[in-house]
Amino acid sequence: MSSPNKQPKRRPGPFLICCLLLALLTLLFVGGNLFIIIFRGLKSLPASLGQAETLFAVGLSVRSACISTLLCFLLALPTAWLLTRPELPMRGAVEVILELTMSLPYIVLGLSLLILFSSPFGKALKAAGFPVVFSRNGIILAQLMVNLPFAIKLCVTALRGVDGKLERVAGLLGASPGRRFFTVLLPCCRNSLISAVILVWARALGEFGATLMLVGVTRMKTETLPGSIYLNVSTNDLNAALASAFILLLLTAVSLVVDAVFRRLGRGRSRYG
Amino acid sequence: MAEREELVRAEGFCLRRGAFELKDVSFSLGEDEVLCFLGKTGAGKTLLLESIAGFYRPDAGHISYRGAEVSHIPLHRRNIGYLYQDYSLFPNMTVRANIGYGLRMLRRSREEIRAAVAEMAEWFEIERILDQHPGTLSGGEQQRVALARALITRPSLLLLDEPFSALDPKTGQKISEKLRELRRELRCAVIFVTHNFREASELSQRIGILAEGKLQGIVPKDELYSSPWPPEAAALLGIEEKT
Repeated sequence: MSSPNKQPKRRPGPFLICCLLLALLTLLFVGGNLFIIIFRGLKSLPASLGQAETLFAVGLSVRSACISTLLCFLLALPTAWLLTRPELPMRGAVEVILELTMSLPYIVLGLSLLILFSSPFGKALKAAGFPVVFSRNGIILAQLMVNLPFAIKLCVTALRGVDGKLERVAGLLGASPGRRFFTVLLPCCRNSLISAVILVWARALGEFGATLMLVGVTRMKTETLPGSIYLNVSTNDLNAALASAFILLLLTAVSLVVDAVFRRLGRGRSRYG
Repeated sequence: MAEREELVRAEGFCLRRGAFELKDVSFSLGEDEVLCFLGKTGAGKTLLLESIAGFYRPDAGHISYRGAEVSHIPLHRRNIGYLYQDYSLFPNMTVRANIGYGLRMLRRSREEIRAAVAEMAEWFEIERILDQHPGTLSGGEQQRVALARALITRPSLLLLDEPFSALDPKTGQKISEKLRELRRELRCAVIFVTHNFREASELSQRIGILAEGKLQGIVPKDELYSSPWPPEAAALLGIEEKT
């Protein structure tokens, strides 16, 4: 017995079929990469985890990503706050500089850092006990340079997401600019900022181009996870390279899960972020 | 000696924001006085109120507050209370923290803040919601919290943007009475903007009519309908009379 509301099944049109096929192709292309890294990397992981080089690369990557992310937000937050002030002169010019830096290939940024720190200034720093070129400090600086404009942009978006009226009301209630920032602005965009920190940390973990240019990749000295992949491929040790790639993928996936958890926790608590 | 000391004076104040312009606004407000600006939606009421709070630098003219250009006084030293139409409560704080915020910023002692918050909560009958967050409150509750927060620092001037427009008439009436009582006790001047004729005549001593960014005049509330008005203001009053 047919229901009176039952409608005849519509056949998908050619446009829908084309989109589905292209989406499937995209998924195969993107997912295929993940598939290779997961399955081949997982197989080589136990052997690689026993190698001192891999453990060194994981430790150095995580440590430098944490330090560079911390430095990044220490610089990005005040800059972003200034950029959200309507009275700031030359705001447009600053934003153009940031956009331009963000769109540059990272190897070019690394090259400019190499020139800067090979100059007398860099040599003076080295003499003062802070070497940058071919040193681990350079890894942190390269990650910082690459991520800073990106972090500023994320912070600006987060701060602009907070209703400006809240800050004005806080000001009229006697809060100085600093106290408005810490008591109203920052808590109101907390969730967006946590997401930004996680995203920037994940990007720092995977940074390679600027690091390669500034510090090179030396086994057990400046060998980060991406550097380890590069070295292992250069020495034709594909299994070790895939194991390092798997660890990178795993760390990035964990950061995305943490981000999702914070977003879910924050959704119920606040209208903002 | 003047009856009241002058608290706010606007002289030839002009401000352009995008396509809209406040034109040549002049008025004065004495201490302990209640002034209302009446106008249709889009007349520039909120912009005028924000200008009085000193949020914008004038394109021409000035608005002085206690004798100084208001936009030159640091925001946190103006001692002005402001109630936005959407109340703008801090979503990251409880009602208790919202109300006590001003006193915390003034670095008062914990005991003093606790006592003042309790007093305000009792006045506005919001004791039972003190530990809730703003997102869980009704419009009426939010408004009481916002008023308590604005008044706890005993401001010299209270600015209210369409204070009762989002409330049902009964709640609006109740809160309006509370506000009137408390204002008399705190002796603060009030400027509020509204499109509601009843609110304007119930709360204020003088009423100004704002149309298309221009202040059409200010009269004592009893002379609202008997005063000669420019055509825009007369049209506004006439429209209200018909409804």
